[in-house]
Amino acid sequence: MNTTDCRHARLHIGAAPHELPAEVETHLAGCADCRRFRDETVSLDARVRSALEVPLTHFRARPQVRSRRFALAASMVLALLLAGGAWWLNPRPALAGEVTSHVLHEAGSWDRQQVLSEADIDSVLQQAGVKFDSKLPVVYAMACPFHGRQVPHFVVQTDEGPMTVMLLAHEKVAARREFSEHGFRGVLLPAGNGAVAVLSRGAAPSEALERTVVAGVE
Amino acid sequence: MKPAPRGMSGAAPFTRLLEMLRPDLLRFACWLARDRSVAEDVVQETLIRAWKSREELKDPASARPWLFTIVRREHARLYERKRLPTVDVDSVEALGDPALASEGDAGLQDLRGAIMQLPGEYREPLVMQVLGGFSTAEIAAELGLTQAAVLTRLFRARNRLRTIYGLEPAEDVE
Repeated sequence: MNTTDCRHARLHIGAAPHELPAEVETHLAGCADCRRFRDETVSLDARVRSALEVPLTHFRARPQVRSRRFALAASMVLALLLAGGAWWLNPRPALAGEVTSHVLHEAGSWDRQQVLSEADIDSVLQQAGVKFDSKLPVVYAMACPFHGRQVPHFVVQTDEGPMTVMLLAHEKVAARREFSEHGFRGVLLPAGNGAVAVLSRGAAPSEALERTVVAGVE
Repeated sequence: MKPAPRGMSGAAPFTRLLEMLRPDLLRFACWLARDRSVAEDVVQETLIRAWKSREELKDPASARPWLFTIVRREHARLYERKRLPTVDVDSVEALGDPALASEGDAGLQDLRGAIMQLPGEYREPLVMQVLGGFSTAEIAAELGLTQAAVLTRLFRARNRLRTIYGLEPAEDVE
């Protein structure tokens, strides 16, 4: 172990585990201790993100009017909300954006290689109160806060490469809808009483893969 | 030929954008202010300011950092204008603010408490990075720091959180 290189690597890993310079990546290839430190940090980061995503159920739904200044402010925000009526009637694009945004912040999930046990998967499903029979190897499983609820977030290995699967039991999607945001190709699908999102960093998920995922949702 | 970039003058797309990002703006403000009510006021002011300045947003893909920056400035402005008292960390925890403590497993609540107790100089860049998606270079530009200083602050923030997570802390950097 080269102590100087390890300290340099750990500074970068500890500061920005998803933004490592080339020399740190090179160092990681030959240093098992630093690779373990990186894996621990990526895992910690997923928890930090979950912790930062505080539930919003206790926040007030609309601006509070406290003075003429705030009355003006509130009226403008209300106008914004009214103008957004069309969005409420057709929320799917926003849902796709939020799913993508969530996945972007768990970028480390794509690096996982080790297939998880059924017990690991069941633990996540139980936290979210959802049933899912994954017919594909799961390499990442986390119950993530999303819209104030715990949502199973999986990365599965497929012939088409790793895919993120999010089980959105409390979201409604009227029909299949493809989307492409921030370099991700994905699809929102009605599944059971809710919806499921499947995302890829490469080509859009195939219809066969979509059918496999939906078939696993109870 | 690519069309020339335009500001987001259309009300409906801009409104959709604000609605999509509002949850994370509230969270970001909450972690900055450590006070739910102040966070709500900050986001309210942010939405108004963003609406007035929507022509400045040339690329919707930049909306997130743009809005987070407005949140930061509105937060600072609110304290400047109202001279609000600073928040005592212990009192926040004692209050058991439901926005910060009511959901999630015990480990997550411990982690929230630990993040809450981070000094502001560590907490702010961490939240900007993890929740806001800022790169270290963007954080440095936003906070008026060198990138090396940002790396050190982020490293120390995570190093403190490692112990909460039951991990051995790394050797500190100079």
